[in-house]
This record gives sequence, structure tokens and C-alpha cells, in this order.
Amino acid sequence: MGTLARSLGAVLSAALLMLATACTTQLAPAYDQAISDGLIAANKDVQTLFATIGPGVGKETYPARADAYNNVIGELNALEIQAKARPIPDSIGLTEANKILSANGISQLTNDPKFTNYPSARSIDDASLTIATMRAADQKAGLHGDEIKAFQNQTSIFLMQAITYENFLKRGEK
Amino acid sequence: MPAIDPKALISDIQTAATNVIGTDVSALGGFSQQQLTAIAQQSIFVAGGIADGSITDDTRDFFLDSLKEMVRSFANTLAGLVAVTVEQVWNAIVGVIWGAINKATGLALAIP
Repeated sequence: MGTLARSLGAVLSAALLMLATACTTQLAPAYDQAISDGLIAANKDVQTLFATIGPGVGKETYPARADAYNNVIGELNALEIQAKARPIPDSIGLTEANKILSANGISQLTNDPKFTNYPSARSIDDASLTIATMRAADQKAGLHGDEIKAFQNQTSIFLMQAITYENFLKRGEK
Repeated sequence: MPAIDPKALISDIQTAATNVIGTDVSALGGFSQQQLTAIAQQSIFVAGGIADGSITDDTRDFFLDSLKEMVRSFANTLAGLVAVTVEQVWNAIVGVIWGAINKATGLALAIP
């Protein structure tokens, strides 16, 4: 958290430097209530799917879950497109934020080929891929043991990233 | 017309920036803590799944690759949150400066 604190301490400096242009700006996409609502609905459907699976299921019962898998994947893929469809007037924003984080010890972004100005779209895509992989595993051999916990926790991590970012876009309305 | 008081202006800028950063630090800190805890837990689940045989060769590499991806995606999200914070700080400061100019000149200049 010390690194995060240093990064945030640099935020004011970055803002002051950018004041050289002396105008208001938009560095991130606009908040979209429909995307936030869609994420809440998708998260509910994902958690319901895991609740129906419980501690384990055999592949013979997969057909009963096929529609639920397809519904969740379709929801997530549609949300990813919506999230990417918003314009960002000043696309340098995330690049500058990346520099701030990198300069303060968070180097994960360096050489990240998937780095994007739409982080929630990336997380939604990751969640969709996780559910699609789970669907294939379920269809082939059912789901058992800690593999279920790993699928659920992984999906939740990605969805939490997307939900947090989208809610953050409310800005002063938080 | 009242002249701009540099000390008061600096104080107003600091207040505007602190109001934004103070709110966002709390949100970013909570998010980071939640993510780091969940990612650590994920490594335990993956190790457990490999050990109990539920994670087989079919999905083992997927889960291991996903551990790397979720750390990168977390960092990408954090950068996105910082960008929003920078935007808010920037706009808050511009608002204070334009307000001071308007007050000193008697004009009603719109914030650009």
C-alpha cells in the first residue's frame, strides 16, 4: 500500500503539470448506467450459475446448465462491446497514469501487450473467457473440488475489477 | 476589484485537490486490498485443485496463465482509476483558478 500511497501522492503533481494547458479535460470514458446495470445483472447470473453447481456436478447433467452458460457468456460479450464503444476525448490520460504508476514502483504495466484505455472491457473479456473455459471443462468431465472455487474466485476477481472501474466513472457522484 | 491573493488561491487549490484525492484514496485502497487478497486466495485454490486432481492438464495452464493476467488486469484497472482521479484533480484546480480570475476581474469567464 506504500507504493499506492506514493502513486496517489504523485497525482497532484501530474495534475498541476497538466494545468499548463489550462482547460478542463476528460481522461476516461463517460459513466454509463446501462453498463453498470448490465454488470450487476451479469454478476447475479454468474453467482446463480455457481450456486446451481454447488460442491460438484457430473458431465451427464451439463445439458441442464448449457443455457445458463450461454446466457452469461452472451451478457458479458455484449457488455464488453458497450464498454469499448465510448469515446475518450483525451486518450493520453491512461498513458500518463501508467507513467505515474511505473515511476512509483508498479511496473506490471510495462510490456503488457493487452494494456488498454478501457480496463473494464479487458476484465469483462477475461471473465467471459473464464466462464467459456469452465463450460468446456464441465461439458467434458463435470466440475469438482477446488477447481470450482478457482473458477468462481477468478470470475469474481475480474468482475470486481470491471464493476469498480465502471462505478468510479461516476466521478463526483460516488 | 479585489486582487488575487496568492496565498488564498494556493490554499483553495490545495483544498480542492485534497477533497478529490481524499475521497479517491479511500476507494483505491479498499479496491487494492480486496484484489490482492482475492489473488492470493486464487493461488491457494489453484494449488489445491492441482493437488486434489480436480484441475487437470486440460485447465492447469489456463489457471496459471490467468494468475498472471489477473495481476496485469488489476494494474490496468488501477491505472484507469488513477486517470479518473487525475482528471478530477485537474478539473477541480482549473475551476478554482477560473473562479479567482472571475472574482478579481468582475468578468464571468466560462471554465474552458
